[in-house]
Amino acid sequence: MFQPLLRIAALAASVFAVALAPTAQAQQLTGVTDTEIHIAAWGPQTGPAAPWGAVTRGTAMLFQMVNDAGGIHGRKIVFHPFDDQYNPAKTVAGVKELVEKAPGIFAMASGVGTSPGLAVKDYLMERGIPWVGPAAGSLHWVTPPQKALFAMYPLYADEAKLLVRHLVDKEGKKKIAIFYASDEYGENGHRGAMAELTRLGLKPAVEVSVNQADRDLKSHLLKLKDSGADAVLMWVNPTHAVITLKTAAALQFSPQWATSSTLSDAVMMQAITGGLWKNMIYASFGELPDADVPQVKKYRDAFAKYAQQGERWGVFFMAGIGFVEPLVEGLQRAGRDLTRDSFIKAMESIKGYKGVMGRVTFGPGERQGQREIFLARTDDTGTKVTQLTPWAEVK
Amino acid sequence: MDMKRSYYRDLRLFDTWPLGLWLVVCAALLALVPFFAGNYLMYVLGYIAINAMVALGLNVLVGYTGQISLGHAGFFAIGAYATVLLAKAGVPIPLALVAAAFIAAAFGFLLGLPALRLEGPYLAVITLGFGLTVENIFAKAEFFGGATGPSVPPFSLSLWPGFSREQNLYWLIMLCAGGTILAIRNLMRTRVGRAFVAIRDSDVAAACAGVDLTWYKTLAFAVSAAFTGVAGGLFAFHLGQVDPTTFNLMLSILFLAMVVIGGVGSILGPLLGAVTISLLNLKLKGLKLADFEQIPLAGKEIAGFISRHFMETGMANIQFIVYGGILVLIMVFEPLGLYGLWIRAKRYWRTWPL
Repeated sequence: MFQPLLRIAALAASVFAVALAPTAQAQQLTGVTDTEIHIAAWGPQTGPAAPWGAVTRGTAMLFQMVNDAGGIHGRKIVFHPFDDQYNPAKTVAGVKELVEKAPGIFAMASGVGTSPGLAVKDYLMERGIPWVGPAAGSLHWVTPPQKALFAMYPLYADEAKLLVRHLVDKEGKKKIAIFYASDEYGENGHRGAMAELTRLGLKPAVEVSVNQADRDLKSHLLKLKDSGADAVLMWVNPTHAVITLKTAAALQFSPQWATSSTLSDAVMMQAITGGLWKNMIYASFGELPDADVPQVKKYRDAFAKYAQQGERWGVFFMAGIGFVEPLVEGLQRAGRDLTRDSFIKAMESIKGYKGVMGRVTFGPGERQGQREIFLARTDDTGTKVTQLTPWAEVK
Repeated sequence: MDMKRSYYRDLRLFDTWPLGLWLVVCAALLALVPFFAGNYLMYVLGYIAINAMVALGLNVLVGYTGQISLGHAGFFAIGAYATVLLAKAGVPIPLALVAAAFIAAAFGFLLGLPALRLEGPYLAVITLGFGLTVENIFAKAEFFGGATGPSVPPFSLSLWPGFSREQNLYWLIMLCAGGTILAIRNLMRTRVGRAFVAIRDSDVAAACAGVDLTWYKTLAFAVSAAFTGVAGGLFAFHLGQVDPTTFNLMLSILFLAMVVIGGVGSILGPLLGAVTISLLNLKLKGLKLADFEQIPLAGKEIAGFISRHFMETGMANIQFIVYGGILVLIMVFEPLGLYGLWIRAKRYWRTWPL
């Protein structure tokens, strides 16, 4: 008795399905209207990675400044930052939500973390959504180069090379130990350091890796100490850096420490290590926050006006500006007739642009915009930072 | 609890025909989603369905067999890695998922062996160790892609002409989730399921009644791990990325929380738990201070309190507290979990107007 009914229902369902099918792949949202450009970013504002979330807030300030100066060719930037807590599952959800809700998203700016970034990279690239300045130093952004992905963060391996070169040539260190996190970040630093040591005809005093979950680093530090190292390249996260220095102090182990740009916020590191961030040599991808150069001064002055209560003018906040400056430059160059293609063309025309980071050059096939870095050093009190080397590309 | 008063009622796949009808309607609606919804909705539903599969699988162990596991993120990881590595080696995706189920089940069997001698907190610690070990092995070994994990091949399966990758994946996830529900519901009607329940209620009594404890306890682990493994494989494609640190202790605890919040020892319970926790996970991120000002009566005061004590540079740092608070409230007011709420609502209407 139900047979004919079922058949009709099945027929109706399939007609329904076919009728609806085209709308599913429908309209591509561009995120650009006559008066607005919609740009989004993810960054952890809560959870263990929250200190890096300052990047996103720095980006927000840059856009606010651009809008207050009249916007870009008659359009204001509407910024959609969201907190993903450094959890890729949340990054994907947030990005899809924004990209697929009218009016869509024109481009992504900064975006903190390798693994959140990797989770959305293919999704963005398939849709041709430009992404400028991922706030993580990963080789994944540029190998192979993607049409719409413009990387700013210099390579960790280059930083490690420059640090080793400096330790050996200028500081006269002979026994360099490598202490690195067992993740992509640590591995890249490790690899760069090994390559440079090999080039110099040296062997590392010892190579020690540390797990993300480890909280007691005494055995690690004993290995470093027993190796007789006179310098240690420390490629770990901020929490581990604190534990490392405290444990080393307890063991009366005081080599020359050297570390990556990830730990280049000397003020924060000095605070959370309880004053142990002394005589630290580190790589930096951006001008020092208190540098007396016009590019930095401009933002430092604006910071006093725009920043929320409790915000600090630090390295990460400034990085949020530096990673995204080329995006603003690209929007300016693309002109009033803004499409993703015209924007990408405009980005490729950027040569030797100097903002708060090193010089930035993109081009057809060139997607690693910044390669310049320099070394800096905190003094005996850990409060004053001096630039050790000029901006330079590591060869 | 939801009592069944006859043996034959207990044997039915669906308790009543309206229930069966509703399930078909729900399944049809979910199946139609790709035709009218965007990627975002499919992503959220897929995320929920994957979590539901794990919760249902874990419930076989926790709810039905009375064992515990704090290491299900390990099986989830094994499923994800097995699927990705097999798919990269050219194995068709459905076959890779099936293989992942068997590989995870094999590890489940191994982990089930110590469960023969251990109970309660001791078992919890063993499984905890298992989860942590798996995470570390995947993160260390170069073969598994090291700290960044292996790259995930594109999802190439086509289930419906003209479907995009996301739409095909959504259907596969829903098929697997639906299959999981049916399989577990069916399993619990069989001799095996009854043996699980007998072990939960009293393993000594079960052994006396002829239940082979060695076999059934390890089998419970294996079955539970198999469903979790498939879910892990789907998750790898869903996220498009496998990162060993994703499969951490927190994830194992979340899985267990889904089962407990939802209500142990039922099908609906873990489902509700998975929906609740997944949505809390994805949706609380947008919580802003202005949202608290909407609260009637004390909105202004609450917002003021938060801005004084729980703010980090202008962003509300409150969602963790809200998250935890919701979980605590559910457990305090409904120890049977969300399933308990459902039972009470049902009983209320059945005996209405008493």
